[in-house]
Amino acid sequence: MSAVVQAAGVPDAPSSAAGAQDSLDAALGALNLLILRRADDGTFLRLNAAPDWSGLLGLPDNSRGVGIELAGRSGFLDNFLVDALQLWLKAAPGRICSGVWLETDAHGGDWPLEAQALVADGNQYLIIQHLSEEYAERVQVMQSARTHLLAEEALEREVMRRTAAVRQREEEIAVRLLSASSMRDEETGGHVRRIGLYSAALGRALGWDAVRTADIRVAAPMHDIGKIGIPDRILQKPGKLTPEEFRVMQQHTVIGANMLGESDIPVLRMGGTIALCHHERWDGSGYPRGLRGEEIPIEARIVAIVDVYDAMISRRVYKKPIAEAEVLASMAEAAGRHFDPQLLHLFMQILPEMRRIRESVAD
Amino acid sequence: MMQIKLCMVGAFAVGKSSLVRRYVQSAFSEKYHTTVGVKIDKKDVTIDGATTRMMLWDLAGEDAFCRLQTTYLRGSSGYILVADGTRAHTLDAALELHGRIELELGPLPFVLVINKEDLAAEWTIPDERIAALEGRGIRVLRSSAKNGDGVEAIFAHFARLPAEACAE
Repeated sequence: MSAVVQAAGVPDAPSSAAGAQDSLDAALGALNLLILRRADDGTFLRLNAAPDWSGLLGLPDNSRGVGIELAGRSGFLDNFLVDALQLWLKAAPGRICSGVWLETDAHGGDWPLEAQALVADGNQYLIIQHLSEEYAERVQVMQSARTHLLAEEALEREVMRRTAAVRQREEEIAVRLLSASSMRDEETGGHVRRIGLYSAALGRALGWDAVRTADIRVAAPMHDIGKIGIPDRILQKPGKLTPEEFRVMQQHTVIGANMLGESDIPVLRMGGTIALCHHERWDGSGYPRGLRGEEIPIEARIVAIVDVYDAMISRRVYKKPIAEAEVLASMAEAAGRHFDPQLLHLFMQILPEMRRIRESVAD
Repeated sequence: MMQIKLCMVGAFAVGKSSLVRRYVQSAFSEKYHTTVGVKIDKKDVTIDGATTRMMLWDLAGEDAFCRLQTTYLRGSSGYILVADGTRAHTLDAALELHGRIELELGPLPFVLVINKEDLAAEWTIPDERIAALEGRGIRVLRSSAKNGDGVEAIFAHFARLPAEACAE
């Protein structure tokens, strides 16, 4: 750099120096570089022969040794000069790079340029390079990498789309199987679907991932599938069950777990867990095993809440709907006894979403 | 003539360059051409008799290889955050960029554009999410650089800024 500085702007330089300058110009020209030194008055002195593209920046060809005002010639360069000035004013050795920008010529052609500001030997320099082939290579690498990433993303979306289709089929099969069992009691198809949607909403509120949330949407509606194994005389008995009949009725949890829980399919295993534990209570007074607190799987604690909510608030042939305020008050009273209090709190927080589900899925 | 600088920011392949090309040249290419670096286009727009020169800074999309230099937005009148409706994660990227810009440069006028409306059937950004953003006061516009729908509205929003500033 010091050779450039010494040679440039010296009108009576000996012929050997002029020859050296010519050689240096040729070398810098081959590198597509334009080197400018910042003068004390803020103008710039061109230190080498003007490359053919310097016209893009509005620099005259014969400007060597003449102070050039750079501001206003290129919007990008103006922006970079703000950072460059900070570096130059520090007057300590250092260098910053502008990153690539494209100047457009009168014919719409793009010229990739990159600028560097640096301080060397106490002098302030601005070096602008036309990147030509190097830029083409960079673009090719980026184009290839990003096209590859886009293809991967598209593949991932297709996998997700197909997974969602499989999930939908699983859900459809589950609901249709359940409709067979629920024909024997008073539950409706709408109730079964809503239980899945409420449970998924709570799962999302708990921060579960998409797979687990989708699993509970399908698994939760199967909570009562074990009722298929309960005799009609008990399941459809209009009055209160005797203790013995109630003991038989309680077995629907175990029957459901046996039907689903031995599967290798995760969603069915989750269904088995829910079927077994959805009548357990937070205080340990539930059935069939009398689990308490967090011994009860969280999926079952979720279903315990949403099942009661939907059953109380919905109309059935044997009962009128209960006003929501009354339902919520009753559930709040059961927090810590029947329901997991923290989960119930979360349920209350996302109540608007629960209402939307209730309104969108009719019986 | 008034001049305003507007920056296009967002993840890669969301359609930033295509939106500029549609707006400035009324053209569109199906093939994806990645932008490396910064490309500045200009368009003169006359609204209510006043002409404004819009300098459109198309900034390379951000990804693992390329991070946005927020200094490029210095002096801009606003920015256009672009996301691709068919790629929900590009909305997260856009909002992350917005947070970074606000942190480093302070608040600037911006709009959020969900592009590729011509592929609306394949969108993976739920309407509820868009509504929630609008609920936070973010101006969300839908566009298709392919068929031109909604493109003028994006830039017209900013072209009116000088006149509005004068009126104030």
